[in-house]
Amino acid sequence: MIKLYDYELSGNCYKLRLLMSFLGLEYQTEAIDFYPGNQHKSDAFRRINPLGQLPVIDDDGLVLRDAQAILIYLASKYDPNGKWYPRDDAALLGQMAQWMAFADGITATSSAARLHDGLFYSSIDIDAARAGAHRLFRILDEHLFFAEEAGQDWICPGDHPTVADIACFPYVILSEEGGISRMTYPAIRRWCDRFKRIPGFIVMSGVFPAGPGFTDAAGVAA
Amino acid sequence: MSSPKCKDPIALNLWYAIAPLEEVLDGKVERSILLEQPIAFTREPSGQIAVWSHDGDGARPVGASLPVQERYGYFWTTLGTPDADIFAIPEYDEPDRRNIHAASFGVNASAPRLVENFLDMGHFPYVHTDILGAEPHTEVKEYFVERSDERDEILATNCKFWQPMASRASSGGADVDYIYRVPHPYCSVLYKSAAIDPARMDAIAIFIQPITQESVRVHMMLSLLDDTSTDLDIRLFQQTIFGQDKPILENQYPKRLPLDPRAETPIRADKSAIVYRRWLSDKGITYGVIPAAA
Amino acid sequence: MATDLQNTWHPIAASTDLVKRHVYQAQLLGREYAVWRADDGYVNIWENRCLHRGVRLSIGINDGRELKCQYHGWRYANRTAGCTYIPAHPADAPARTICNNTYPVAEASGLVWCGEHATGDLPDMSGFESVTALRGLPVNAPRDMVIEALGAYAFADGCSAQTDEHGVVTVTAADGQAVRFFVQPSDSNLSVIRGVLNQALDGAERIAALRHHNFLLDVLRSQVEARAAELETPEPMTPPIAKVSADLAEIPPEQEGGRTAELRVQVVDKTVTAEGIVSLRLEAIKGQLPTFQPGAHIDVHLQNGMVRQYSLTNGPGETDHYTIGVKREPDSRGGSVAIHDSLAVGDVLAVSAPHNNFPLRRDALHTVFVAGGIGVTPLLAMARALNSQGLSFEFHYFVQSHAHAAFRREMGEFGDALTLHKGLSPEDTGAKLRDILASPGHARHLYICGPGPMLEATRGIAADLGWSDEAVHFEYFKNTKEVDDTNSFQIELARSALSLNVPAGKTILEVLRENGINMESSCEQGACGTCRVGVIEGEVIHQDVYLNDAEKSAGKSIMTCVSRAASDRLILDI
Ligand SMILES: N[C@@H](CCC(=O)N[C@@H](CS)C(=O)NCC(=O)O)C(=O)O
Ligand code: FES
Ligand SMILES: [Fe+2]
Repeated sequence: MIKLYDYELSGNCYKLRLLMSFLGLEYQTEAIDFYPGNQHKSDAFRRINPLGQLPVIDDDGLVLRDAQAILIYLASKYDPNGKWYPRDDAALLGQMAQWMAFADGITATSSAARLHDGLFYSSIDIDAARAGAHRLFRILDEHLFFAEEAGQDWICPGDHPTVADIACFPYVILSEEGGISRMTYPAIRRWCDRFKRIPGFIVMSGVFPAGPGFTDAAGVAA
Repeated sequence: MSSPKCKDPIALNLWYAIAPLEEVLDGKVERSILLEQPIAFTREPSGQIAVWSHDGDGARPVGASLPVQERYGYFWTTLGTPDADIFAIPEYDEPDRRNIHAASFGVNASAPRLVENFLDMGHFPYVHTDILGAEPHTEVKEYFVERSDERDEILATNCKFWQPMASRASSGGADVDYIYRVPHPYCSVLYKSAAIDPARMDAIAIFIQPITQESVRVHMMLSLLDDTSTDLDIRLFQQTIFGQDKPILENQYPKRLPLDPRAETPIRADKSAIVYRRWLSDKGITYGVIPAAA
Repeated sequence: MATDLQNTWHPIAASTDLVKRHVYQAQLLGREYAVWRADDGYVNIWENRCLHRGVRLSIGINDGRELKCQYHGWRYANRTAGCTYIPAHPADAPARTICNNTYPVAEASGLVWCGEHATGDLPDMSGFESVTALRGLPVNAPRDMVIEALGAYAFADGCSAQTDEHGVVTVTAADGQAVRFFVQPSDSNLSVIRGVLNQALDGAERIAALRHHNFLLDVLRSQVEARAAELETPEPMTPPIAKVSADLAEIPPEQEGGRTAELRVQVVDKTVTAEGIVSLRLEAIKGQLPTFQPGAHIDVHLQNGMVRQYSLTNGPGETDHYTIGVKREPDSRGGSVAIHDSLAVGDVLAVSAPHNNFPLRRDALHTVFVAGGIGVTPLLAMARALNSQGLSFEFHYFVQSHAHAAFRREMGEFGDALTLHKGLSPEDTGAKLRDILASPGHARHLYICGPGPMLEATRGIAADLGWSDEAVHFEYFKNTKEVDDTNSFQIELARSALSLNVPAGKTILEVLRENGINMESSCEQGACGTCRVGVIEGEVIHQDVYLNDAEKSAGKSIMTCVSRAASDRLILDI
């Protein structure tokens, strides 16, 4: 069975819990004392991930680190419909990779700001982290605005969300914990609502669920 | 030390928990902030903890130090001259209890908003869904609140709430009894039915260290009658709970607690909060609150 | 003091920003707003702060009819912003006056407009009759600086810009294409550029135009922000925080007084909904109708001087009208006949604000509704509220025949939860009720409303089958009991230290009013519960049909319109 080295308050671990929930996958977790214990920096854990970071999975002996890499692996192996990581369209593969890299940028800024404010990571330059997150959010909001204009609900083209949405969601929705307001990103705020309404969505501590979506008289979501 | 940024004499003369003892390391100087005053601390070769104020560089002015006490697994200090000792938590010393530091978290909210949230049962089904509460079990039944002037603390008793999973050790839903104490303007202790021994109660305390009027460091201590869960599980459970309150606390406006009775709309379930606000008003606290206009 | 900017309208969103079931977060002159569109299309602009504990409503849930706060689940109605439910006290009806702060709203030219104290007309849009709203662009700079920069905006050949005295910038190109910019002053150093084109575009053309302007405005934004960054950042604005009304600051809230008809409504629709039953749709002549909760009724002051109580049947969020159902009762004192025969669409009626003495708990695991005939009305509103929240219930509607079943369309949404019982004899009704009520069970609640005999029977069966008094809720339309008012006694008013004599032939309510005490009442026959008062000492002869048996024997309250003292003296909690 898949084992996830997990910490509840980690947005990067949440990415994997989300995908596994969307796919209905069963998995085990091993709780890591990320805070205050710093267990991810222990010698024992560095043998699992020399970077000393969460998340890591162990799937029958295959040990993988990096949330984005693991999303690709899990979706490729366990999504029978190939919806979360479609592999037959070169353009789409490129777009997903682009936004996954962008998601790492969100981790480097929005998550860093949250670690600074919430867990006292005092070496982080908080002003730079917040400014960096706002720079990325402006780009994402613009992208999502024009996606909506083109009738597209998700970050990448197509009528189904992809691993790119999962990779971007956690540290967008948790940004306020780093003092980063999303008030001026209305398209991001709407996308967050849509994301929360994907069947199988689960929350993490710090994330609230959405209410029921709108369906018209014919039962069609609008 | 130049004159303090915080002008509230009551706040200045209180004791504050600053860090869990296990995080005060020999010879290593750590920095923190209390009431906008930069402070630093270390463990000296003698084993004693030393704390001092500084101007932002961490340097320790010769001979300067702040009072220190070790209590409940933390060290406490003060920028003033408290006239009372740190409040008592007698349960802490009971031999069969496990005393655990769950975490210290930074929150962009005022200390009194955290205390009120800690006293509040009505939010359980909405904020701690399926753990400390679940719809449709939303009723907050009548409870008692008293303010003991002799002990200078607030006590809410006979509180009851239906909970699906009251603690790491519980195995299903149950009506849980609560008692709440507010023995310090920025600290609170709650007692709730222990999963393994209905006759006794677990204790959970929050000790809030105000950084500014609108940001804090909250230290969470548990004193439990649980002999099955691991420390890690207990800590993570408490972190999950607090992580759920955080977005609420950081989305309250105004951030400082308004003491004017007409600022917000209390209901019967908020009795303890009403008494708490009055108590702060009567004390004349100004730090972290918006005082009622005279 | 209101400033010019507070008195004028500003766009705070594009219409397309307000998708259904979403809460949009906006800011104007430092004040934050939660903005949400209900399923009926209405746009609500409320202060972004729950009146309970100050939590931002923009993190709450728009369920299409109500906005639910994330902290304690308080629900606030579409349009009125009045609180309809407080889950911590499921048995209580929230004070009608708990109401979030609302602000003026308008929707025009593809934009949503607001102004803290906006009155008067929206900006003149001649030349912009059909429009395309551009993507709003937030800029970290003061409004004046943005307006100035827009004066140099050029999106095509031969552009010239004009800025009017309100800071509205219109840029016209040589070919007649024009864009008009409004700069929303969010805060002292945050503005949003909201532009509209003088053309309604769609398809690829629309997207091309949006992209073109978005790119140019983004460039402009970089320049303005660079300039703003060189200046000292102004302090954020600090809009004053309005106080809640004095009666809400204390618990419990004070009673409001009188049997007054404070509202004027117009009959907008009158439809026969079943044999002998008409439904009336009443809309406010001016302003907004007050918030109602399921179970509430209004007093209707008829043209012939009679006052009658009718329950509201509205579902949650239906706040632009009240709908009542009226059965023609030829034998009664004439109120219903007047409505059936003389009242016409277009007529104006005086009605009271809704009173809710029949509150609905929403913390039941399962709720059973038993309606008989026209008694369906309050239960309909209740079941619609539960249904919209997805809570478990079943609805039993006893009628003479299919043709006598009212409000069938509204009940369509109940699906399998609805059972219609047609033409049963009293014996068969009793047997059916025994079936329905067979399992009282934990956290199950029963609501009954219908003709007196059926109500009595249902209460009796429920009691037999083990339903506790607390779980059985009922409302009589009227009190058919003979009221005895032949004794005389003293009442003492604990809070005002007044002592009064109630002579034979007068009610407590009348004596109180004669002595200048403002008492609320509605039916004045011991059925509706509005005139209820707490009893501190003394024994009561209960002659009402509002209190249940447990409440009657507890003797802690009295219906002052019919009940009297059994002892020489009653001490009342007023
Ligand atoms: N690129 C990595 C970043 C992972 C990451 O930042 N993880 C955090 C926890 S959420 C961590 O372990 N931080 C500790 C560190 O980087 O030292 C990924 O996406 O998985
Ligand atoms: S703060 Fe909104 S319901 Fe309590
Ligand atoms: Fe909480």
